[in-house]
Amino acid sequence: MILVPVTYKGGIYRHDEIIDLIEDLGGYIIQKHMIAQEVVLQALVPKDDIELIRKIGKPLTGDITLSPLVGTEIAVVTPSLEIHHLPHASCDVAEYIRRFGAKTNMVGLARGFGKRIAQLNDEERDVINEHDLAVYLLGDFETCIEKKFPVLRRGIMVPIVLCGGPPTEALKAIIDPPVDGYVGSIGRFMHRTKESDEISRLDDVVEEVTRVLDKKREEMAKDPLSISPARLMDIISEKIDEIHEVLSPTPITVQMGGLRVKLPYDTFGPVLRKTGIDEGVTIGDLAEVLPSRMRDYILIRIKPFSETNLVI
Amino acid sequence: MEAVEYFEVECPEKAGGDYYRRIADVVLLDHNLIRVVLKLHIFIDPKVPLFVAGGVTRKLPGIVRLRDFADVNIQDRKVTISIGNEAYLAPLLQILWKKYGKDHVEQPDRFTIILYLDEEESRSLEDLPVFDPSESIYKDLIYALQVIQPEGFKVRRQYYGNGRFYLVASEDTLPEDIEDIVRQKFSLMGESL
Repeated sequence: MILVPVTYKGGIYRHDEIIDLIEDLGGYIIQKHMIAQEVVLQALVPKDDIELIRKIGKPLTGDITLSPLVGTEIAVVTPSLEIHHLPHASCDVAEYIRRFGAKTNMVGLARGFGKRIAQLNDEERDVINEHDLAVYLLGDFETCIEKKFPVLRRGIMVPIVLCGGPPTEALKAIIDPPVDGYVGSIGRFMHRTKESDEISRLDDVVEEVTRVLDKKREEMAKDPLSISPARLMDIISEKIDEIHEVLSPTPITVQMGGLRVKLPYDTFGPVLRKTGIDEGVTIGDLAEVLPSRMRDYILIRIKPFSETNLVI
Repeated sequence: MEAVEYFEVECPEKAGGDYYRRIADVVLLDHNLIRVVLKLHIFIDPKVPLFVAGGVTRKLPGIVRLRDFADVNIQDRKVTISIGNEAYLAPLLQILWKKYGKDHVEQPDRFTIILYLDEEESRSLEDLPVFDPSESIYKDLIYALQVIQPEGFKVRRQYYGNGRFYLVASEDTLPEDIEDIVRQKFSLMGESL
């Protein structure tokens, strides 16, 4: 069964029927938003059943669309969180990617500004590495990007999409070794993106992010995960009651290769490790339960089939 | 930027210069400073790195004196000030408190202040300078230039007054001949510092 990421938008009336339907079909609800009279569900559903959900959702004014980024966590990295980058550029990009289903976190570096003085510390490096992908939003000058980017990428293991003011070709020419994706003509700006050419550049960012993540998915498919992250999320929310008391919008954040569980590591790390999945197999057997550098959260990295010899 | 008589962004990187032209435009507009600036020349060299912004302001509003926003009524030693525009009340009170002490400044209601002064002192009271708008406009202007400049330029020098202003900034120590560079940029606008 192939699960595809989708977004369902519809009225609040009888939306629980759609949730039940998705769960009965073997899909997973990743996130549920209630905005006034509207419900937005981000879910993974079986590919063959999309039409069925659409048919059942139609009388409830529901609409289902493919959202390639559902189930991914993306870091939007800016050199700082000063007025030079906020709220436009960084917030606009982070918010736009979010519309396509990704969970984005903004990472404002403590000392990322400047050309010669830019730095990346170990905490920032580790936090970025906990994501599926990092979008770097840099400035308008080629000279600066060329000089500071090698420092800002040091130790980053996840794919990088680099955005900057110079055209895409110019960015490709100055970055060595190459990164996974480039989007040019989106550097520092101080106004809201509302004109069509600006929106189309945001679309370019989403397109590039999707392309890079698709490539990563293909790589991962060669050695599949021992358990799908969405399924593991379901098991944790079923077996760990305390997760329902967490007030964060996504108590369990789904990533491509794992989960971020927003519970304190010291108390719940050992509990999670021992939590059973199926016939004597525990989470600890299939995944690494690690302390996250983000607050005191837990990071679960699911091991691939080649390491566990198990697929559940 | 139609309101500005002269506006140039000089930069060795053309694309970057164009972006900064737009940034400067938006920032000055957002800070309501477009009407204040008559000429503006921005020079950015990311290679050095150096940022120079200098310009000329339009004629700024003069100093606000007590008579401009209040009536002063003198009866023997008792001076009653009736405030017309509350915008300058706070700076006025600060001045009076500092000069005469809080105990000697009575304020029976929001718009009335009562003082007991000698005849000589009360005569010059109407001409008391309360607020200098140009001071805050120049400060706003320098702040706006700091927003425009590329981030991370922590070494700065600024100057304002006499209808002229400039801000130079860099990551590294400023070059010794920085004032010559600024003068040169002013001469491009047909002005002298």
